Amino acid sequence: MTTTNWRTINVDALDPESSYNFDLSTLTPQLAPVSTSSIQQLGNQVRQQLRSGDAEGALRVALSNPPYGAAAGEGGKDAHLATVVECLQSVKLADVGRVLERVYQGPGGVECLDVLVKYLYKGMAQSTSSTTTNSRPASSQGPGFSQIQARTSVEGGGQAMSVLLSWHEKVIEIAGQGAIIRVMTDRRTV
Amino acid sequence: MAAPEVHLLFHHPIADHSFSGDRSLLAVARDNNVELYKRTGNKFNLKDELKGHDKTVTSVDIAPNSGKIVTCSQDRNAYVWEPSPEGWKPTLVILRINRAATFVRWSPSEGKFAVGSGARVVAICYFEEEDNWWVSKHLKKPIRSTVTTLAWHPNSVLLAAGSTDSHTRVFSSFIKGIDEKPELSVWGERLPFNTVCGEYLNNAGGWVHSCAFSPSGNVLAFTGHDSSVTVVYPSGPEQPPSAIVNISTQLLPFCSLIWNGENEIIAGGYDCEAYRLQGDESGWQLAGSLESKGRASGGVQDESALNMFRQMDLRGKIQNDTQLKTVHQNTISTVRVYEGSGSTLGKCSTSGVDGRVVIWTV
Repeated sequence: MTTTNWRTINVDALDPESSYNFDLSTLTPQLAPVSTSSIQQLGNQVRQQLRSGDAEGALRVALSNPPYGAAAGEGGKDAHLATVVECLQSVKLADVGRVLERVYQGPGGVECLDVLVKYLYKGMAQSTSSTTTNSRPASSQGPGFSQIQARTSVEGGGQAMSVLLSWHEKVIEIAGQGAIIRVMTDRRTV
Repeated sequence: MAAPEVHLLFHHPIADHSFSGDRSLLAVARDNNVELYKRTGNKFNLKDELKGHDKTVTSVDIAPNSGKIVTCSQDRNAYVWEPSPEGWKPTLVILRINRAATFVRWSPSEGKFAVGSGARVVAICYFEEEDNWWVSKHLKKPIRSTVTTLAWHPNSVLLAAGSTDSHTRVFSSFIKGIDEKPELSVWGERLPFNTVCGEYLNNAGGWVHSCAFSPSGNVLAFTGHDSSVTVVYPSGPEQPPSAIVNISTQLLPFCSLIWNGENEIIAGGYDCEAYRLQGDESGWQLAGSLESKGRASGGVQDESALNMFRQMDLRGKIQNDTQLKTVHQNTISTVRVYEGSGSTLGKCSTSGVDGRVVIWTV
């Protein structure tokens, strides 16, 4: 007779009422799939606007079309993050408040700033993780080379971080703590 | 605008509060018990305690006409308390739930009440004359998570339920023999038990803290943990709503909201302050705080030089920074109608984590 370890049975799977047998994603808003090519297309459009000096318009376009349902996994989402960060870096620090104020007043402004906060947090998460991954293999190489590489990557990350932090400060001044709460609550991730 | 009437009952969170119909009695849920306060002059004095639950009481409601009190608790039970010569007499309600009861409200007809629970059901409870017993019927589908809040439609048949699956749903709780056939409304015509008349989600998908029908019952508002208030204007049975207005605020989330007329909502929450929202089908916006700003600065008492130096001398600091400038010193958990005639609100009451019950003139 076979012995069954009763304790390892997943009882939730046997209960038809259990949420284990229910696809919870059907409760969240349906996200339209976005192809990688359309993300790249959008990126190009934004970059074109940046080159023509319209940073505010570029930011608005980038933030109004976040690829929530990016089909190609996180790769497409990362590409859009790079686009947004490019917009952020192209605005002079002194102009940040003014640009944000105008985006906020514009149509769908609240939503735009919520999306921006999402990208700020994603950017912060990435710049820290990229420095750690970069410095790890470097330490196994020759001492002189690794130090230089580690330092440059940390400085690069630090600079990106300072841009993100100063934007964060200004966004929260305008959109309030509500924006942070919404980003934490929202199931549509960037 | 008259100054709010502040009652600091104790230094302990108030889960829920309810006033009796004549507003002389105040029931407050505190830990495992419900405390009853009687108004004498300008003060509320502790008069009685309802003991019976053995876990935190989550909600309490006094029926305005019959005076019966219903309480529910995390111990999965609900009691109906009736006054008798020997004090308050509890009757156990057969809820048949296996998780905590989270929220309870009498229907406007007072013939039944609804209990929300963590067991993903809403128990509609009514009195069975034959057995002398409160029994329940479950609204089950399609709730997928804990029901955090409930609101009755004025016709006592429709019930809105907000849940942590971030949906607010409108159900029919029609029970034969108890309810009269409801009139045709925008929510539907034929309404057998558990008909889902509407199912709404806010933009960010935040779990729902509170919901409420407008005085006419034709508009539904709900607020969630995404710091937004959503107002739904249904257009008719089986049809998509004519407008869903979402107001994303700059504030921390609201925990509770009520209507004042058809064009104003009063909401309070984690900002420790009650706010007004105003608007109509074409748009809504935040219209400021219920607290008049002049009074709010009363938190910072006299700013005389003498006082400033005395503070510096005594405490080594210039200002007393442990007090909030708001009347409530912590999250507002419940906003309720205190006084109002049908469509407009005269006064509302709030209670919160700071142990205060405040009555506001709207």
